[in-house]
Amino acid sequence: MEELLELLKDGHARTIEMLADQLNTNTEDIKRKIEYLEKMGLIKRSFSPSCGAGKCSECAMHSGSAPCKGCLPDGGFKNMGEMWEVVKNTQ
Amino acid sequence: MSGATIALLGQPNSGKSTLFNALTGLRQHVGNWPGKTVEKKEGSFVRDGKEFKVADLPGSYSLSANSDEEVITRDFIASGKADVVCILADSSQLQRSLFMLADYAGINVPSFLLLNMADVAQDQGKKIDASAIEKKLGIPVVPFSATDAKSYDSFYKTLERAISKDSRIDVEELAKQYESVKGYREICDLIPDNVIDGYSSMWLAVKVIENDAVVLAKLKNALSAGEYAKIEEARKNTKGAVATGNCKFKWIDELLDGAVKTNDKQVTLGRLDRIFLNKIWGKPAVILTVLFGLIASFIPALPFMGVGEAVLALKAPVMSGLTAINCPEFIVLIIGDVIIQSFSYIFKMLGFVFGVTLVFGLLEEVGVMARISYVFDNTMGKLGLQGKSVMPFLVSFGCTMGGAAGARVIDNWGQKVLTIALAWAVPCGAAWATIPMLSSIFFGPGAVLVIAVILITMLLHMWVTAKIFGRKLVKKEDRYGMIMELPPYHKPKWGALFRYVLGRTKETFIRVTKVILLVCGIFWLLSYSPSGNGGILYNIGVAIEPVTKFFGLPWQLFLSYVASAVGKEGAIGVISALYSGGAYGTAFTQAMSGAANTSNLGSLLLANVTKPEALAFIFAMTFNMPCVVALAATYQETHSAKWTGRIVLYYTVVSLILAFLAYHIGLLIW
Repeated sequence: MEELLELLKDGHARTIEMLADQLNTNTEDIKRKIEYLEKMGLIKRSFSPSCGAGKCSECAMHSGSAPCKGCLPDGGFKNMGEMWEVVKNTQ
Repeated sequence: MSGATIALLGQPNSGKSTLFNALTGLRQHVGNWPGKTVEKKEGSFVRDGKEFKVADLPGSYSLSANSDEEVITRDFIASGKADVVCILADSSQLQRSLFMLADYAGINVPSFLLLNMADVAQDQGKKIDASAIEKKLGIPVVPFSATDAKSYDSFYKTLERAISKDSRIDVEELAKQYESVKGYREICDLIPDNVIDGYSSMWLAVKVIENDAVVLAKLKNALSAGEYAKIEEARKNTKGAVATGNCKFKWIDELLDGAVKTNDKQVTLGRLDRIFLNKIWGKPAVILTVLFGLIASFIPALPFMGVGEAVLALKAPVMSGLTAINCPEFIVLIIGDVIIQSFSYIFKMLGFVFGVTLVFGLLEEVGVMARISYVFDNTMGKLGLQGKSVMPFLVSFGCTMGGAAGARVIDNWGQKVLTIALAWAVPCGAAWATIPMLSSIFFGPGAVLVIAVILITMLLHMWVTAKIFGRKLVKKEDRYGMIMELPPYHKPKWGALFRYVLGRTKETFIRVTKVILLVCGIFWLLSYSPSGNGGILYNIGVAIEPVTKFFGLPWQLFLSYVASAVGKEGAIGVISALYSGGAYGTAFTQAMSGAANTSNLGSLLLANVTKPEALAFIFAMTFNMPCVVALAATYQETHSAKWTGRIVLYYTVVSLILAFLAYHIGLLIW
């Protein structure tokens, strides 16, 4: 996973397929590592297009009306896949 | 007679609840863990005259201290309250779901592994050799399907086997993996055996490396201050959770090596992705796709144009009819010039709203939109922005307010302000409806070219704006690339798409009708003069015309440019009012005198506005500030009146400069 984070340092965006290709592994492996890094707080989701306009469970949990961070506003796109970014200032 | 207590451990969606319900039936009790809001589910079942207790532990990803659920789970297990732990994994994705097992390894409680959803894995063509895994793992491993009543027999047998053998995970291979982690050996040696009940020193050392707050606090209590300080010191030199996570994944891979057969297919990029994700061709391909999309949106707009013309055709007969029944002239003019005229425009505009929404909706549905954000990620970096800024820009094609609100996800204030400032340059849905409508009146098929030039201008505008504002707002910094999971291309769901597009068109119709009628009415009244000598607006307009002419805008167009700052759809209302207003020009009088063919608004505009003037107006209107609501949203997101003001001023100036350029280039052409 260190190689994965190292690879992202060049600032270029990569799809899961590209990461799998560059790290000589398969997409399943990349997906589980993304899941792990996310749970460990080393990367975070930039957008959750699946949740729109403050209607997701997370929004409902936090505050009444304001959509949560990462929630797209109404009229935003929904079929945009997922995006993760590296969380800075950690080890 | 009492049996044993079984704890069910698994990630969410591992089928834990199904198993729990099937085992206990109605004999269950739901409460809360003491002092926590986490649900506690317990139950029991009787087998061969013995009563077994079952604890359904909260589902969580792992056993780290990231949540209450995880701490409760591991404390319950380590406390010895469970005689045996049943670990569930999803057979259809073992690589991933065995992580819980890897994180559990090192807790000294007997256990067995249930490879749940064996039926799903089989359907996927996966062959799993449970006995091979069992041999390496040292605990019973059994394929299982919680939804299949027949597989419960093997569950009970495995349960008894685990209890009678007191089976524990063989962690030798995992420990070998950990030995390669920097600092692991040192920390492990500093942690005595059984310092915290239930956990091995290996497990504790790994959690120390992962900076697990709960474990660190427990060690601080259990050890002397000197020993703990040494551990803390060693921890600081480790690579943290990344290193230990790697070991766990490697261990899982070795465990599965040779035990799982899949008919894996090599992942290759689709034909479309080979173009869209190409370093050189990606950007042109994306821009062309959007451009063709916009042009294609003319086609669904055509029927609406027809409706608009039909409405307009009503104007002359209705007006002469009303005059015939001695209706006051004022009312006749309001009905003809304000209401019928406006609706004609509204229908034509709706055609483009429908077309543009349909095309963008389609691009999103099939998955092209997601590729656009990928393609422009790197460009964002060059503008000093984060990759995710692309999203607010794309949203702005629909509505700038959405774009400004979407910038919320950008945590750096400067980048957020810059993102919003650039999002303003993206023509919104109302502009995308007005541009083609006006261009087609003036330039016919040349409208396609106008749209292309607008798109290019937009890109240049954004680039220049980024250079101007960027210096103050963002500083160059190292940035990490993003990881994207692009949705697969798929056929659009036409039904849902049309419902969405029709819904949006209806919404726009209601909003636009209100705005246009209101704006048109006000401006018509201000320009109305019974004597025919020009109303208030006419006098003001003529007075300022020498200045506005400099930008290529006759006073009517200048006023509608001003109105476009309130809302782009408002511009249409003003044009509609002023070019047919009671006080203006001979064209109107002619139209009223019965020459039916000149009552066509298109020809009315053509008679009064030159092509360069029209071009100037289209640019001025498009790149003017988006609307009052977007302005409010910008202030709300930036919390800076100063920057909001700057952006407004900047856009006003730039739009006038663009109008000036468009006018003079137009003069050269025509």
